[in-house]
Amino acid sequence: MLKLQDLTKAYRTDEVETVALNNVNIEIEHGEFVAIMGPSGCGKSTLLNIVGMLDTPTSGHYFFNGEDVAGYSESQLGVIRKQHIGFIFQSFNLIDELSVFENIELALLYHDIPASERKERVAAVMDKVGIAHRAKHMPSQLSGGQQQRVAVARAVVGNQSMILADEPTGNLDTAHGQEVMEMLQKLNEEGTTIVMVTHSPSHADYARRTINLLDGHVVTESMRA
Amino acid sequence: MLYTNYLISAWRNIFKHPLFSAINIFGLAIGLTSCILIALFVRDEISYDSFWQKAENIYRTHITFSVPGRDPMYIAMAPGPIMHALKRDYPQVEYATRISIQEPTIIVDNQYFVDFITLADPEFTEIFELNVISGDVSQALNSTSSIILNETLAQKYFGQGNAVGQTLTIDFDIFKKDYVVAAVIEDMRKNSMVQAEAIIAIDEPAWIDQPYMFDAWFSTNSQLFFTVPSGTSIDSLANTLPDFVNRNFPKLPFGGEDIKTSDMISMEFMNIQDLHLNGNSDGEYHETGNKNTVIVFATVAALILFIAAINFMNLSTARASSRAKEVSLRKVMGASRKDLIIQFLGESILLTLMGMLIALTLVELALPVYNDALGKELGINYGSNDLLYIFGLATIVGILGGAYPAFILSHFRPAETLKANKSAETKASVKLRYALVILQFSVSIALFVSTAVVYGQMLYAKNKDLGYNKENVLAVKEIYRDVVLEKLDLLVDEIERMPGAIAVSWSNFMPGNSNNNNTIVHTEGQSTEDGILLGSRTIGYNYFSTYEIPLIAGRDYVRGRDRAVMTDDLRAGNFYTGSLVVNESALGRLNLGTAEEAIGKVVYVGAGQPEENLTATYEIIGVVPDIHFDSLKLTIRPEIYDLEPEYGSVLSARFNGDPNVFVEQVKQLWEQQIPSIPFDYDFITDAVAKQYNAEQGQANMFAAFSGLAILIACLGLYGLASFTADRRTKEIGIRKVMGASVFDVVKLLVWQFSKPVLIANLIAWPVSYYAMSIWLENFVYRIEAFFIIGFCLIAGIAALLIAWGTVASNSMRVASANPVKALRYE
Ligand SMILES: Nc1ncnc2c1ncn2[C@@H]1O[C@H](COP(=O)(O)OP(=O)(O)O)[C@@H](O)[C@H]1O
Ligand SMILES: [Mg+2]
Repeated sequence: MLKLQDLTKAYRTDEVETVALNNVNIEIEHGEFVAIMGPSGCGKSTLLNIVGMLDTPTSGHYFFNGEDVAGYSESQLGVIRKQHIGFIFQSFNLIDELSVFENIELALLYHDIPASERKERVAAVMDKVGIAHRAKHMPSQLSGGQQQRVAVARAVVGNQSMILADEPTGNLDTAHGQEVMEMLQKLNEEGTTIVMVTHSPSHADYARRTINLLDGHVVTESMRA
Repeated sequence: MLYTNYLISAWRNIFKHPLFSAINIFGLAIGLTSCILIALFVRDEISYDSFWQKAENIYRTHITFSVPGRDPMYIAMAPGPIMHALKRDYPQVEYATRISIQEPTIIVDNQYFVDFITLADPEFTEIFELNVISGDVSQALNSTSSIILNETLAQKYFGQGNAVGQTLTIDFDIFKKDYVVAAVIEDMRKNSMVQAEAIIAIDEPAWIDQPYMFDAWFSTNSQLFFTVPSGTSIDSLANTLPDFVNRNFPKLPFGGEDIKTSDMISMEFMNIQDLHLNGNSDGEYHETGNKNTVIVFATVAALILFIAAINFMNLSTARASSRAKEVSLRKVMGASRKDLIIQFLGESILLTLMGMLIALTLVELALPVYNDALGKELGINYGSNDLLYIFGLATIVGILGGAYPAFILSHFRPAETLKANKSAETKASVKLRYALVILQFSVSIALFVSTAVVYGQMLYAKNKDLGYNKENVLAVKEIYRDVVLEKLDLLVDEIERMPGAIAVSWSNFMPGNSNNNNTIVHTEGQSTEDGILLGSRTIGYNYFSTYEIPLIAGRDYVRGRDRAVMTDDLRAGNFYTGSLVVNESALGRLNLGTAEEAIGKVVYVGAGQPEENLTATYEIIGVVPDIHFDSLKLTIRPEIYDLEPEYGSVLSARFNGDPNVFVEQVKQLWEQQIPSIPFDYDFITDAVAKQYNAEQGQANMFAAFSGLAILIACLGLYGLASFTADRRTKEIGIRKVMGASVFDVVKLLVWQFSKPVLIANLIAWPVSYYAMSIWLENFVYRIEAFFIIGFCLIAGIAALLIAWGTVASNSMRVASANPVKALRYE
């Protein structure tokens, strides 16, 4: 599904250059569940952002479904992104001023989908993650686990084929973390490609493959049987 | 100690948020500048004539002639003999004086000057205090050969030396006489409706050949001031005026037996302090103000300050959440709510005072232009209480703008605000801010519409077809003097022969200036008693062709063919029929049928003084349409245009080619023929435009202040937009991750600020439509009220565009930012 080839990302701030990713080569197939691990600051989020087309690499190639998107403009990337990729963040990133329903609907809002269909799809996905009874609540009225479920719902409501999750359980207690992991596993079983950053080895075990990063390099890759 | 801490914290806060502080200070500075400038104008307007010692008890007499079928004629003057009757009939009248301002030739050491000379009665000096520089004013007006000069004229005539005791000659045409300077006074104050540069006594016997000056009951050529002792009820005095009129005025020469004089003539007393704002231009010697203008400007000042104060409130409350932590920490350290309120109020007062300092600078910079536009000499008097008032104003604005934010800020509970990730703002304060933005824009839009209507009306008036062609006409003034009239034929002949000259004529009026001469006209078979009062102007040959006025029927006056009726011939019993041109309205009032039918018909026109009972006989030779020779503020009178071959006050010459070349030729001719009188001219276009000078000045002022109000509102919107955009970066980041394009995001932010502007339109439109359609009713000839709707639409669109422009840059910045940055730090 995607292939990173000699991918490098450097940040330049006030003449100080930080190389966040250095010559990374990764290939991920359709339907895979990949965990990315490594110490803080090693470039995990940077990698995820580039894979998610929120950011562009400094050099190297990024083939998405065979297409090299490395040199694409922001708006070109946006078109691909909103069609294929869903996001889940550590801090949930829900909009405080919108209700649960509206937060999920947001992922469909920029897709030219009629309101009636949006309503149906949001209702269906809310059922799936078990927050249908909270549709009218505001994010501040929900617990962390519930908020993350809303975020998951938002990530998949557009039928995205790939979900990128940056420490999705980082802000959750064990029980809620477990819940979210099970949800991701279920999505993966249904065919969604999942790339997840995590610090928790036990959560990484949900993935079939783990990539370890250190200082912008891929150090090890392990596959679970 | 604590206060030093507050002050330090306030000071740091101002510089920690430069954009916020700059917008607040600058907005306030502009608001205060506008407010101070307007306050100076308003103070000057309402201060007129309040400085006289007897101000409370000085009154002026006005006359209204109410003739059936005519608009009432309200005149700020009174017939000359009234003064004597008033003093005789009312013992309450302490002192009285007439004031008549003439423009004779003054000769000093064989040098000729033309200046305004005030003719007054001896008690003038009892009513009005004059600040004497040298000499003695107390006896000056008891002598008919003394003159009081102000400093400016004394210097002009006699240079630096003492003018007292010097002699000058004044040539009034009707008599010429020497005057000895009895006193030199300081120039009179500008904020007065009584202005005298040189004063001589009214010498009634000397004017006996022109009885209309001081001796005729049906002519008004002087203003009449008098005083009563303090405590006198002017109302009870005024109640007896109808009796006074019936007792003293001669019987009206028309209207029939049953008509009482008081039915058509009424008198009114007005306190001197009210003259400037309530006076009427007819019969005033000095420009009057307008009460409505003063009220409007005072309102605009209040609105501008209000808009600036709203900015203050909005930006402070919007920023409040970012200060929640500071508040909580201070509370944890033991600060009471009162302490915090004092701190935040202190901050806002500090900001306002900084704004005030900038405002004072701006005011001083603006004053020269402002004074020029208004024709005034306004200024802040730093030695007086002015500074105190301005400080007070700034403090009040500081408190008004700061009270609510202080209340909100001090309200935060440490337990809630120290816990991160919780929006400290309540829904109510967000809603209030929204409502205030709506209010700001409602006011701005209403001001915009009002400005457009004021301008629209002025343009309409300026460009209205007056009935004559005002372009390319040179008006030579000052021709009413004997030395000029003697050479009138020669001047006309010479000018007609000049290259570029098309037609030349003369008249006893200047188009664009009002004229209130009237005369009684009756038709065949009627008696004088049945006659009607028609407006009357005198003109020379070819007047209508000079002004390119097409006649409806008949023809213009032609030299050698038309005969004028001379009053002296009537007095001598020498009767004959003259020619007469009338306007359409007069035709209707005289019941003479259509214009064609009227030609050749005979009418009888009163001549000389009414008491003389002289009637001139005329045959109508021409009918002209109704022409706006007067101000557009007046309806066109029914008028007759009497031929006057030997008299006029203005000579009009239509020309083509370069106006300067033409004027130069005429000037040379004048200087060669009439060296004693300075050449004075105007172009009719300019003379007509001059009527709107005051309006133009005020409209410009109105536009400027409306513009400033809108600018301040935009500043606030800009601040709020940048604040909101910053606050929404996370949300925008999320939306972009969800697939929103830059355009989607800009649309979202811009729409957020379009909504209040749209709602503001809904409020502003009906209000301004209502207010401005009432305002338009002040004008006889006015733009249609539906134009206001157009202006509303334009204002609405303009406000939207301005709001968009204001928030667009911020929105673009936020919308194009990489969402990763917004989501990275939480
Ligand atoms: N926008 C940025 N500007 C400059 N440096 C950045 C930026 N984003 C990340 N970095 C740097 O790149 C490196 C990798 O960051 P990141 O991918 O966030 O690490 P991780 O998610 O593994 O903790 C770090 O050194 C970080 O400081
Ligand atoms: Mg990270």
